[in-house]
Amino acid sequence: MYLLPTFRILVLLLVALPLVSAAVVPLFGRAARRAALLLALLHAGVTAAVVAGALPALNQRGENVPPGRDFAFQKFTPEFVPGDPGVSDASTSTHRTRWTLLNLGDAPPDRAGPRIQFYIGVDGLNVWLVALCSLMVIPAILVSWEAVADRPGAFYGWLFVLQAGAIGAFLSFDVILFYAFFELTLIPSFFLIGRWGEGPHRRDAARTFFLYTLGGSLLTLVGVVGVVLTNPLPDGRFTFELPELMAAVQRNLGGAFAEFLRTGDGGPLAEKQNLQFWLFLCLIAGFMVKAPVWPFHTWLPAAYREAPIGVTLLLSALLAKLGTFGLLRFVLPLTPDAAVAYGLPVVGVLAGIGIVYGALCAYAARDIKMMVAYSSLSHLGFLVLGILAFNREGLSGATLHMVNHGVSTGALFALLAFLLDRYRTTDMRQYGGLTGRFPRFAFLAFVLCFASIGLPGLNNFVSEMLMMAGLFDARNPGVGGFGYAVVAAVGIFLSAWYVLTMLRRVFFGPVVEPPPAVAGPVHDVNPREVVALGGPVAVCLLLGLVPQVLLNPMKADVAALAEVGDAARDRVAGTAPKFEDGLPAGTITPARKNP
Amino acid sequence: MSEPLLLAFAVLGLLLGATVLTALLSLSAGLKRFAHLPLVVACGASAVLAMILVGRVQAGGSAPRFVSDPLTWFAAGKLTVNLTLAVDPLAAVMLATVTFVATWIAIFSSGYMRDDHGGPDRGYVRYFAVMSLFVFSMCGLVLANNFLLLVGFWEGVGVCSYLLVGYYYDKPAAAAAARKAFLVTRLGDTGFLLGIFLLWRLGGWHTDLTALFDHIQKHPPDTASLTAACLLVFCGAVGKSAQFPLYVWLPDAMEGPTPVSALIHAATMVTAGVYLVARCAPVFALVPDAQAVVAWAGGITALLAAVIALTQTDLKRVLAYSTVSQLGYMFLALGTLGAISPVFAVTAALFHLFTHAFFKALLFLASGSVMHAMGGVIDMRRFGGLRRVMPVTHLTFLCGAAALAGIPLLSGFWSKDAILEALKLGGESAHPYAGAFHVLLLVGLFTAGLTAFYTFRAYFLTFWGPTRIPEEAGHHAHESPAVMTGPLLVLAVGALAAGAVAGPLTHWFETFVGRTPSLQQAAAVVGMKAPSHAFDWGLAGVSTLLAVGGVGLAAVMYARGRPAKVPAGLEPVVALSRNKLYVDEVYEAALVKPMAGLAVAARVFDLFLDALSRLLASVPRFLGGLVRPVQNGLVQFYALSMALGAAVLVSFVAFRITR
Repeated sequence: MYLLPTFRILVLLLVALPLVSAAVVPLFGRAARRAALLLALLHAGVTAAVVAGALPALNQRGENVPPGRDFAFQKFTPEFVPGDPGVSDASTSTHRTRWTLLNLGDAPPDRAGPRIQFYIGVDGLNVWLVALCSLMVIPAILVSWEAVADRPGAFYGWLFVLQAGAIGAFLSFDVILFYAFFELTLIPSFFLIGRWGEGPHRRDAARTFFLYTLGGSLLTLVGVVGVVLTNPLPDGRFTFELPELMAAVQRNLGGAFAEFLRTGDGGPLAEKQNLQFWLFLCLIAGFMVKAPVWPFHTWLPAAYREAPIGVTLLLSALLAKLGTFGLLRFVLPLTPDAAVAYGLPVVGVLAGIGIVYGALCAYAARDIKMMVAYSSLSHLGFLVLGILAFNREGLSGATLHMVNHGVSTGALFALLAFLLDRYRTTDMRQYGGLTGRFPRFAFLAFVLCFASIGLPGLNNFVSEMLMMAGLFDARNPGVGGFGYAVVAAVGIFLSAWYVLTMLRRVFFGPVVEPPPAVAGPVHDVNPREVVALGGPVAVCLLLGLVPQVLLNPMKADVAALAEVGDAARDRVAGTAPKFEDGLPAGTITPARKNP
Repeated sequence: MSEPLLLAFAVLGLLLGATVLTALLSLSAGLKRFAHLPLVVACGASAVLAMILVGRVQAGGSAPRFVSDPLTWFAAGKLTVNLTLAVDPLAAVMLATVTFVATWIAIFSSGYMRDDHGGPDRGYVRYFAVMSLFVFSMCGLVLANNFLLLVGFWEGVGVCSYLLVGYYYDKPAAAAAARKAFLVTRLGDTGFLLGIFLLWRLGGWHTDLTALFDHIQKHPPDTASLTAACLLVFCGAVGKSAQFPLYVWLPDAMEGPTPVSALIHAATMVTAGVYLVARCAPVFALVPDAQAVVAWAGGITALLAAVIALTQTDLKRVLAYSTVSQLGYMFLALGTLGAISPVFAVTAALFHLFTHAFFKALLFLASGSVMHAMGGVIDMRRFGGLRRVMPVTHLTFLCGAAALAGIPLLSGFWSKDAILEALKLGGESAHPYAGAFHVLLLVGLFTAGLTAFYTFRAYFLTFWGPTRIPEEAGHHAHESPAVMTGPLLVLAVGALAAGAVAGPLTHWFETFVGRTPSLQQAAAVVGMKAPSHAFDWGLAGVSTLLAVGGVGLAAVMYARGRPAKVPAGLEPVVALSRNKLYVDEVYEAALVKPMAGLAVAARVFDLFLDALSRLLASVPRFLGGLVRPVQNGLVQFYALSMALGAAVLVSFVAFRITR
């Protein structure tokens, strides 16, 4: 494919462009918002090109998934890696990079070794999340249009840094590089909340957010380094390349398991699995804080409340997804046995509590902004359950749900900007009967609320059903019954409960409105808001009607991950791998009997 | 693609097109008054197409079923969700009923949805857009051959119901009713979803109905799991079809415009649960426990709702409780599907659904006509003696009431008789719950008497006695325009004759619906042939006596158009009935309040956590304050501390190495 080098440059641009934008935007002064919008649109164009280029490759991979009986070498394969050694002849791809940032030892350049690299690429798991990052910045800028008058240049600059951090983290295939991008998002969030926040406690909120997530992610760093040090390559070297590291973990555990099956001595395997448990705890800490999973959510209410609405939008749409994506990309492949053994029983229980707890808090919240914030906690609990089910349905559903939830929750926050611009409050006690007052706004609000409660035809339904199927098909040893599925279903019901209660208070009944923020008549949605809200509405509808477009490209990567899970289930249960006979060649699913 | 499928797609396409077109009309102020046209035209055309479809299916061989090629909606792992439609006699009859009734209700609506000056109502476009979307979803629900696609349309009709119940959005009662309707049905749907996934697991990972049923028939799973799955699926039916204990939303849903009540909350959407169980007959046939639950739910609901209907003073609410009660009848019949032949049981339920659609839609539209004339007043205590003011409405209402009461030879008589017969045969069968069917037969008969009584109570209170008209009516108190009375007349003919024509005269309905492959499949599972349909004179005689007795009692008590005095000693019973058995209050105290309290508790707890985390945020500031004195600017101090630190470090390292 002669276009390969072009796409590698475009992938690099995905990260570089926001950084450049961040540097350039402040120069525009008063016109910063216009410049920011143009740059965001340019980025969306780049993303569209990358997606268009990646889809054929990813779809093809999905159709030609190898039967995958060799569990030892299931690994991620990024496409369009900038600095790919194959760039010299421009037609082949090695899915690796030569761009080393820091060499920690000597290793031949064509072999994996102890070096930190600028290793980014596109695969089925991150391609849509990058698209989400690219798209949701546009409404974030549009809803800040009027609201941010104070030093807009710096504001939009930090917004772009945030975008760069998130995109970088999604694209990274080097564990340390991921960590760096993951932390990079903290700095802009800190300044955006602390400097442009709306509440009196914004500095406290920013500080809590910063400390909390930093604390969690430091533990994650310990876990990452621990995984690297305990899983050397066959030649004894260490590696930070995620695909190689993933394969090394498989080999390491698989070897011990094979020995157990041969000799009956489970000692080495048990030792490795014990170690995995601690590494699992460390790894997941940062992601549980970021997602957040109950009870590590305590930074969330304050941060979401105090942040300016455009930033809240990005926090919920993008940053929360970093946490769940971390589970998918790092925790599951690097500590699969612990994820199978302790994922649902420990983290899953917390997530389940979070589903109900978040829903209850959302119902009791008087402020619509807080309601959406808590609903996010509830929905993300379901998402975490879907991931931890660790099978094809759950993983596909969760990956899709990250995008779906990003769009619909982000758009719900964008809705609130409409009210904030006009009345400076989102307290639902001060509103009533808005359907008659602002019919167009009400229409958009109803569609987005329906999307949020998982109505069919809109986006969240599809991913929720997939995750539900994942929970019904969860074969993790020790997980009996359908308790998690029931909790998830209750969560879906509760979401209707609080959202409809909010709709009744705010959109039904006689018209009630607080004193307007600006003099003069208050109008229904203006063209800028039509774009900021209508865009997500259209995306919600589209994703609900043709979700398979998103599911096909992720098939191969989900399959790889699910195979890792299947192997881990066998190891945890201590049973030799079993396959159903008569598997047609080329089938993705070596479906296994229940252990 | 075969012709029946093309017709089915054409119906759906027409209705979806109508929805989009109506929505586009909202963009132009001048065209708003034509907003009813897309729905009326699309519904009319769909009704014609659906009738052609019935003919084609009838000619479709001994096992007529046409399934469209699957088109993947979404798939991952073992879950594959296809967009497939299936046409069989069951679906064809249902489709024809829905579109036919909807057509007349759409026409009626164009006359009803008017403001005080006869111009289109404020939300005219919104009304017809949502109605179109509703009819589209309902037809999709009928035709869907995939469980999740079915859920899609199922929720679609739910949303349309929500939007239409809340049509008068500035009325707090309407807002509360809309939310309640959606939430209560959603509660049932939560079980429904779980049931679908359980079936998916048990049924070889299929979600297509036909494939799933085939798989379950070939590899029957253990009874306990299958019972659980059936009961969970039935939860959805209980919610949608307003059965005990989830019926509470339907009476409140009367806050919507009356044609909406006629279409959605009487004739079509609420029958979706009945239709769902009928569709799933091959699975329900395997589990007697689930059948008993279905029958009992139906029996309890039928009786309970009839008792409540006895004393209601709101005409629409009487009809609403009557709907709940009649839906209970249908479930009674469905409950016998394992005791007698599933073909007979389901046919009986569907036949009642079919006739009920006519006379209940008629009754609602007639009461809408009354409400229209009375300036929005629907409390029977405030008007009376309207038979001279509104002759057409009066006569058509009488037709509907007589059919509902089960007066011999009218539609309701035949279908109710079939249900009672199913129960009688069920009692005589070898089914493990045969005894229950005996009891339920008595419940059914008693309810039949109650039905006749409350229906004619409403009729006499509204149309007999001296003419009384509330002041809200103003100069409106006259017969409705032809655009409204026309549909009434058409539906009245249906209420009078549809049952006899499709039933005893031709036996068309039972032979046609009986050929449905899935019902034959269920019959094969149970291993029973349909009993030869011998008309049971004894049963018919008893039910006739009860019906006539009920009407007579109502005539004696209410023919003067005034509420009768309550006989002494019955006051507590009447109060219980008037207050709807306090079910709403019990739910409020037992479920709604505790949940809200729990929510507040969770929120308060979270505020406490919030305060804790703010404490955490102040740690750096606090630490900063603590160590600030150390930065005292004395160079000597810095040097000393540096030296000390280095010494500690070196000694530590040395210690570690030498050990």
